[in-house]
Amino acid sequence: MSNRPVSSRYTDVVALVILLALVPAIAAHTPYYLRIATLAVVYMGWTVGFNLIFGHTKQLFLCLGALAGSAAYVTAVLSQQLQLSPWITIPIGVAAATGLGVLFSYVSVLRGLGVIFLGIVTLAFSLIFQNMVLGLRQFTNGETGLVTRDLGFPLLDHPVAAYYLFIAVLALALLVYCFVMDSRMGFAFRALSDDELTAELSGIDVTACKIVAAALGSTVFGLFGTLYGLYNGIVSPSLFSFVNVDIPVLISLLLGGMRTRLGPIVGAALFAVIEEFVRPFGQLSVLVYGVLLIVLFVAFREGLVVMLRKAFGFSQFRELFRSSG
Amino acid sequence: MTATLLDGIVQGLQLSLLAVGITLIFGLGGVLNLAHGQFAVVGGVAAKLLLNLGVHPVLAGIGGVIGAGLFGLLVDRSLLLPAYRYRGEERLLLGLILTLGLSFVIDGYLNYAFSEFSLTLLLPIPLVQIAGIPMRTAGLTTSAIALVVFLALFVFLRWTLLGKTIRSIIENEVGAELCGIDPARTRTIIVGLAAMMAGLAGIAQGLFSSLGTEMGPEFTILGLLVAVVGGVRSLNGTLVAGVFLGIVNAFASRYIGAYVAFIILLSVAMATILLRPTGLLARFT
Repeated sequence: MSNRPVSSRYTDVVALVILLALVPAIAAHTPYYLRIATLAVVYMGWTVGFNLIFGHTKQLFLCLGALAGSAAYVTAVLSQQLQLSPWITIPIGVAAATGLGVLFSYVSVLRGLGVIFLGIVTLAFSLIFQNMVLGLRQFTNGETGLVTRDLGFPLLDHPVAAYYLFIAVLALALLVYCFVMDSRMGFAFRALSDDELTAELSGIDVTACKIVAAALGSTVFGLFGTLYGLYNGIVSPSLFSFVNVDIPVLISLLLGGMRTRLGPIVGAALFAVIEEFVRPFGQLSVLVYGVLLIVLFVAFREGLVVMLRKAFGFSQFRELFRSSG
Repeated sequence: MTATLLDGIVQGLQLSLLAVGITLIFGLGGVLNLAHGQFAVVGGVAAKLLLNLGVHPVLAGIGGVIGAGLFGLLVDRSLLLPAYRYRGEERLLLGLILTLGLSFVIDGYLNYAFSEFSLTLLLPIPLVQIAGIPMRTAGLTTSAIALVVFLALFVFLRWTLLGKTIRSIIENEVGAELCGIDPARTRTIIVGLAAMMAGLAGIAQGLFSSLGTEMGPEFTILGLLVAVVGGVRSLNGTLVAGVFLGIVNAFASRYIGAYVAFIILLSVAMATILLRPTGLLARFT
């Protein structure tokens, strides 16, 4: 794999980014669809981050909304209270998310927490975060949320420009992802996702790998969270709630395929389509959503990308067979 | 002070009742049931439907518990089958998503079909004096039921053959299968039993105050928290964790205020998991 030239190794990623960049050509005239597309890109970015944290290093973070939200709130509150420029507040917000991610990862390795135990500790943090935001009313404006309309870059107020900004950040995240996965660290990730003990015994620093993955993933969450908050115009607790971030991201990752490069993108795109499909059902939408979830997972248990790859491989094999026979 | 302590124990027993099913299903089936709180609501709805038919409240309560149990059996024999085909991490992940989907289905359906639903059961005598402390009979009844259920469960697991089979599967599923135990059959019984206990916890909520169809997710989260603090594989641990968190919550609500109490409860749960990462009473079942 790694001895192929760089240009052909990443054709799939480049093609996908180009495809995503063409979306405004169709959707630019209907602001509603452009907004859906922008949100889908945000969720794609988050799912890429979660793929690093959970897919590659098996750390079940259930505080994804809280990570993204803490970055968004730190940025918004600092900008509002101290009138700082977004060039200063955004890095501080993102750093807050990175710091939290590293903290959880370090503590879980230190205490040897199992998957579920880390999941529940981070879930408890999610709930604490939500309650803190509601409680610290003087800074966060409680349930109503903070208006971020004039805090960010003017670029974010223009729908098409904002979409391209998110695409650029997504491309950056994918670039970093590909770079990491092709480095020694990437080999270490693959080894430890197969068997942690064996990886450790063969000289891989599992602690360092987990912390690096959590740091990179949390940074992605923070960056997209902050930008999403500024783009949305309002930062509110419901924007970053467990139901609105953690569950969609988890579903998108599993739907697309864990530990694959394109899985997060495909999964998040499919999730956006499902959400739009379910919306007209009104009161029954939650029910339909649940049924779809069950059916999709029983059908595509390994994730869409792996399934497609298998189907594709199979047809190639068949062509080979036909030409020889 | 004593009153708050007793209040905490009562709340805690209800929490344990909710969490013990999660512990059992995880220990035996390797599936973390994210629809457990919804099982509790299903039990409550079944009881309410029976009440509306004019059934005596006690019988309606029992009917509700049985209804939840039947629902659990149904779920185990249909929805969870794909998950049982795998082992270990794959089963856990698929089970997580399937039960999450189920929780959406139940929530979506119940909130749609029973939008005005609320279950409130009133006991004939609301308050009694015990050693000079006024106690709500609802709390006492729930605690008594919970204690009896836990006692029965311990006796069942310790002294009956089926109980021993169950413990052997919790210990090692492959090993138990090699000894001629059928894990699938035992699992179905346990999921039914666990759902019945969840139903009981739901009906107990109706005794305390009132049960609504929207309370499923909250129950699930509380149950998960208690089960994990208890070590998610140990029944004693779950019982102790539930009572412990119930007492923490009662004291925090009484002396600090309901809003901060929840944060304190969550922080204590987090701290306990970090201090005892394999459960409150590691390896003790």
